[in-house]
Parts: sequence; structure tokens; C-alpha cells
Amino acid sequence: MTHSLHRRGDYESLKDDFVVLGCPATGVNKPGSAPKTQNFLSICYKHGPINLGDMKTGNIYNTTMDDILASVTDGTIVQCTFDNRDKIVALLTELKERRPGISVIISGVTDVVQQCMHEAGLGPIHSLEYSLGTWGKTERLPGYAVLKLLTMCGHAMIATDLVGKMVRDIKRGRRTIRSCVVEMAQCCTCGNFNLTRGEKIFQEVLSTYMVDSLY
Amino acid sequence: MKADKDKCIACKRCFPYCPMGRIQTFHRHAEIPGRVYIEIDQDKCTDCSMCVRANICPVNALYQPVEEWPREIRGILSNPLIEFKGSQVPGRGTEEMKTNDVKGTFLPGEVGVGVELGRPGLGSYFKDVEIVAMALMGANIGYQLAEENPVTHFMADKTTGKIRDDVLGEKATSAIIEGKCKLEKLPQALKALQEAADKVDTVFTVEVITKVTPDGEVPIKAVLEESGFWYSINSKNNLGLGLPSFKFYDD
Repeated sequence: MTHSLHRRGDYESLKDDFVVLGCPATGVNKPGSAPKTQNFLSICYKHGPINLGDMKTGNIYNTTMDDILASVTDGTIVQCTFDNRDKIVALLTELKERRPGISVIISGVTDVVQQCMHEAGLGPIHSLEYSLGTWGKTERLPGYAVLKLLTMCGHAMIATDLVGKMVRDIKRGRRTIRSCVVEMAQCCTCGNFNLTRGEKIFQEVLSTYMVDSLY
Repeated sequence: MKADKDKCIACKRCFPYCPMGRIQTFHRHAEIPGRVYIEIDQDKCTDCSMCVRANICPVNALYQPVEEWPREIRGILSNPLIEFKGSQVPGRGTEEMKTNDVKGTFLPGEVGVGVELGRPGLGSYFKDVEIVAMALMGANIGYQLAEENPVTHFMADKTTGKIRDDVLGEKATSAIIEGKCKLEKLPQALKALQEAADKVDTVFTVEVITKVTPDGEVPIKAVLEESGFWYSINSKNNLGLGLPSFKFYDD
């Protein structure tokens, strides 16, 4: 499961984009993990994520925080998305003090994550996963700016045509950028979509993206 | 996914929500004069249910029928809400490095190599998954497949990466091949994947996993740089907070 790894963008675009996951380990600490995961979620919520959810229940743009918390069972993997480096440092500082017991993972710019860990008094990263990019028939993919939006949903549930339709709707004055990124966040069930980053990318897309024909 | 032809009014509202693109066609209803409905291309649809979850259909015409083997694997891999019972993880993959601090899945000297086909927005047929899996297994690098991964379960021969014949025509929004090999074999693994990239009719993302040393050294970094492979500035990082901690080193 690599749904937060392959986000596309340059340093400026990614430096304030963090996905924090809480994951119990099957066969080790999964039995009885529900209260630990709920505790982890509550800590994360306190630090003001821009998005939060779990894959099976949905995120805070689909349902409520209470529902997400109540739906946590042993083995639930939860994710919280942050748009601010300072919040991550504060979160890690608290997680260091109140160690939740389940594994904690952060997807983000490697150097920034490592700096945040040092500032929070944590040591080096334990294990790391790099993306080596997209290979194969890449000419079939949409443009880079659209890809930056699409790859914020690691399960690829945001459709290229949806971005096209939203661009057209905004240009015709039917919708706001905010309502579009909220809808994208709803499509991305897990809660990985960073709405703050999404709004910035949408501004770029609006000025460059032409809708030739859509149905 | 299907659209009930007796309910559908061909309003097209569901079209932009399909991650696979425009896979619908229009048809005239034989019994209701003037009524046009849509049909969803069953070969191209991956049963991800995004169109249903979007809750956009004004007449509730979209539905997911109960599918039999082998088609049922489309939903298992493509709908993030469905859990594959083999991995006990919702979605397409495993816990991989997410629980490495507790399980010790990737030890020092080992590297996890994952390949995710089809994402974003293209999808992948299993015949392409097979090309990549057989390239990795055929590289003779001792690539160990992750047992609990769904794609591993769909293999007829886990020593060659051959996928079951009845699954080859199925399609998923994305499918992940996961496994590991020794660090020194990483360049060979990536070379095999480069060759496979020219043969598939889709895209795939490549990811590599390593245990970081207590000094903060990332062992795969030097290997990637020496071999000339690009890696992204962003990564997924296990913080090592899980309990009980796996003992990686004697001291």
C-alpha cells in the first residue's frame, strides 16, 4: 500500500504537505489496537490537520470526526494530512511523550521530515521508502499540473475528467475553487488529500489548462 | 459497475467521476420510446465504485452487481473500501514498511522493491502485471514476493511470477507487486523493470524500501546514485514509534 508515496511536485509545492499514518501491525500489536489508534487520532486532531480519515469509514469531508473515531476497530489504519511544518513538529513532540504504541509513518519531503523529527527530539528516520517515479507509457498520463492534483489521492480515485469539469465550471462562474477541492477530498476516501495544496495547484491549473471538449 | 437501463436517463453526470475516463456508450431503450441510457464498458471498468460513492446519479441507476471469480478481483483491488482477506489491509497492498519498526520485514542489507501498475488513471490488465512480475522473478536476483499481497495470491507459479490464466484478462485501477531482495541486487532489479517498462501498455510506479541505519544513513541512496536512478525528494518515513520494537541489531 503506497498511497501517500507518489505525490508529484517540486520542493516548494511539497514542503508543506505531510500525510501522517497510524498503523497497527498484523500478527504483532493488532489485537487490542483500537484504543491506541483512537488515542493517536485524537492527538493528531488536536494539532489541526487539514484532512483526517480512515479508508473504510471516510474522512472529515464525508463524515464526522466522532464517526471516524467510533468506527476504529483493531487493525484500522488512519491517516491525517497536515499543511504546516510547525504543526508536524508539535505533533511529533507530543507523540514522543505519549507514544501511541502503533507504528507512525510520515510521508513528506525527506529532509523536512528528518528536520521535524530532530526538532521534536526524535532520532533518525527508522525505515524509508523512496519513489523512483512513473515508468512505462507515461505519454498516456495527463499533464504535470493535473498529475499534482491526482496523485494526492493514492488510490487514484480523482479522475482526470473531473479536474477538467471543475476547471470548466470555475471558468464559467458555477463553482469556487474551494468547493472543488472539497469535492476532491470527498473522492479521496482515506483523507490524504491536502486541500490547502490543492487550492494552490488549482490556481496554476486554471491559468494553463484548456478544456477542449468534455462530452 | 453497471447502469440500470430502466432507470438511467443518460444525463452524463457520472462521466467525469470515472477514474478510467470515458468508458460509457449511449443506447436507445427498446421498450421506452425516446429513452436513452448508458452502458458502461465492462472490459474497461475496474469496479472501483467511485461513480456510486460520488452520489451524483439523480435516479440511482448505478449499481455494483455481486461479481463471481475472476471478475471479483477488480473490486478487491480497485475499491479502497474493500479489504483483501489475505493481507487484512484495505486496498491493494500490504503493510510493507509501515510496520517495519515492529515486524522487521526489511532487515539491514535488504531492500523492498514494489511496483504499482496502472496508477493514476490508466488501470492495468493482469497481462501487464505478469510481464513485470516475470521480469522481476526472471532476473535471478532472489526476489522474494510478499506472501500476503493480493497479486502474489493470483500467481499460478510464484517462482516465475506467472499469473493464473483466468485472471490475465482482468483489470484493476492499480495492482502492486511487492517483495524484497538483497541490497546488492537492487541495480539488477531496476534494470529488469526498465526492460519491462518498454513492454507494458500502462504505467507503473516503482518504490524501494530500506532500513535506515542508527546513524541516519540511507543505504539505498548510494546504490541509486551510482546506478543513475532518479528518486523523488519526498518519501514515506517510518518514525520507529511502534511497540514492541523489533530488535534489528544485537547491541
